[in-house]
Amino acid sequence: MPDPRYAPLDALPRTAPGAQVWAALGGAGLTAGAYRDRQPGTGIDPAGLADLLTAVDARFSVPATLSVSVQLATALPLLATGRAPAARQALEGALTGRATLALAATDVTAGTDLTALRTELRIEDDALEVTGEKNWIANTTTATHFLVLARHRPGRHFTHFTWVLVPAGARGVTVRPADSALFADSGAGHVTFDGVRLGRDQVLGRVGFGLPLFARHIGTERLAGAQWGVALCRRVLADTHRRLTGRPHGDGTLWDLDTVRQRFATCLLRVRELHALSGELADPVALHHDATAAATLKAAAGATVRHVLADCAQLWGAAGFTTGGIQELRAQAALFGIGGGADEVVLGTLADAAEDLLAALERPGTLP
Amino acid sequence: MDARFTALLQPFLKHAGPGETALTPDTDLRTLGVDSMQAIELLFAVEDTFGISLPDEELNDTTFATAGSLWNVIAAQLPEGTGDGPAGQETA
Repeated sequence: MPDPRYAPLDALPRTAPGAQVWAALGGAGLTAGAYRDRQPGTGIDPAGLADLLTAVDARFSVPATLSVSVQLATALPLLATGRAPAARQALEGALTGRATLALAATDVTAGTDLTALRTELRIEDDALEVTGEKNWIANTTTATHFLVLARHRPGRHFTHFTWVLVPAGARGVTVRPADSALFADSGAGHVTFDGVRLGRDQVLGRVGFGLPLFARHIGTERLAGAQWGVALCRRVLADTHRRLTGRPHGDGTLWDLDTVRQRFATCLLRVRELHALSGELADPVALHHDATAAATLKAAAGATVRHVLADCAQLWGAAGFTTGGIQELRAQAALFGIGGGADEVVLGTLADAAEDLLAALERPGTLP
Repeated sequence: MDARFTALLQPFLKHAGPGETALTPDTDLRTLGVDSMQAIELLFAVEDTFGISLPDEELNDTTFATAGSLWNVIAAQLPEGTGDGPAGQETA
């Protein structure tokens, strides 16, 4: 039986863009459910976050869910580190759906080379100045505020970066949509900061804490990716199962073919693995900021979504190429291997932790 | 460098060989395995363990270069008499 809490989402068309879904979530008081004690500053509530992502995924497109996910998992908790009135007001607006946040980390440089980012933050006694460009940022075309990761010193050291809150309406902010039919509904775009002048209190967190805060909060985005991946795979598998059991083949249906059943069962296995991993690692990520656990989830989500969507798309045959069909969904879902930490980045994190991960698999006292 | 600090630091030194358990103020953190991700975790561990915030102006590569440079910044934030003083010749 549908939960009446989600009625405001049901009132929207399935084609609603991310900004509209975000406004509905906040307007209905649902957004705060993603956080412990309904406060973004206290951290993610894994079950609440999974509920919201699943509810949104079940009703709306991948780009719309992306728009919501990045704000729920990362942007709001990061914004909550700001103590100044401007940050508090932006946070209140975001929680109630009146403000939309764009997490502007990826620069004109490669997203896998974050410490090479060029956007500069000049810190004066009582003012800030931001100059640079951020590319391929969700919610850019609809944002009321940008959370911008910028460097306040040259060089790659992890202490050389700082988060700053930039109102979208500030002088010197220019937005343009990304050339992407697949992700237009996420508000994806590019934003330029041309000598944007701000008050000193627009710094989020502390000067020099840009990458430490990013490391902490990107972990919850990776958890969100795994939870969303489970929801997405489950619904795709359910749709595919209906298709297979209703599609005549020979004396029965496609579902009666052993090759089809086994292929489908392998997908079920993969999503059950991701589900189990999400449950096991949710608290280490949400409560203890375990970066290796977060990378594990992200790597697993990328691989699982890719496998399940590819195999289900194959099982749909020519009908998969219908406009808005599973082949289009599959192309959008490639996001799981790219956004929030590309496969190569998170697998690198796992490799770095190889010795610890192997040690954790040992059964004490059993080895020679 | 006090015992709390050396105990905190030891797990981050992944490249220290089995015979290299002695920390000195000159111990090069990056060479012994404290990369950017490790350094971020080390920063949080330092602030949590000692209940301090490192000053913004001390958040730089010089502070995180050696065990001694990091300890000196930490010690400066500790209430007088609660640390073992500036990094000198002592080892742990």
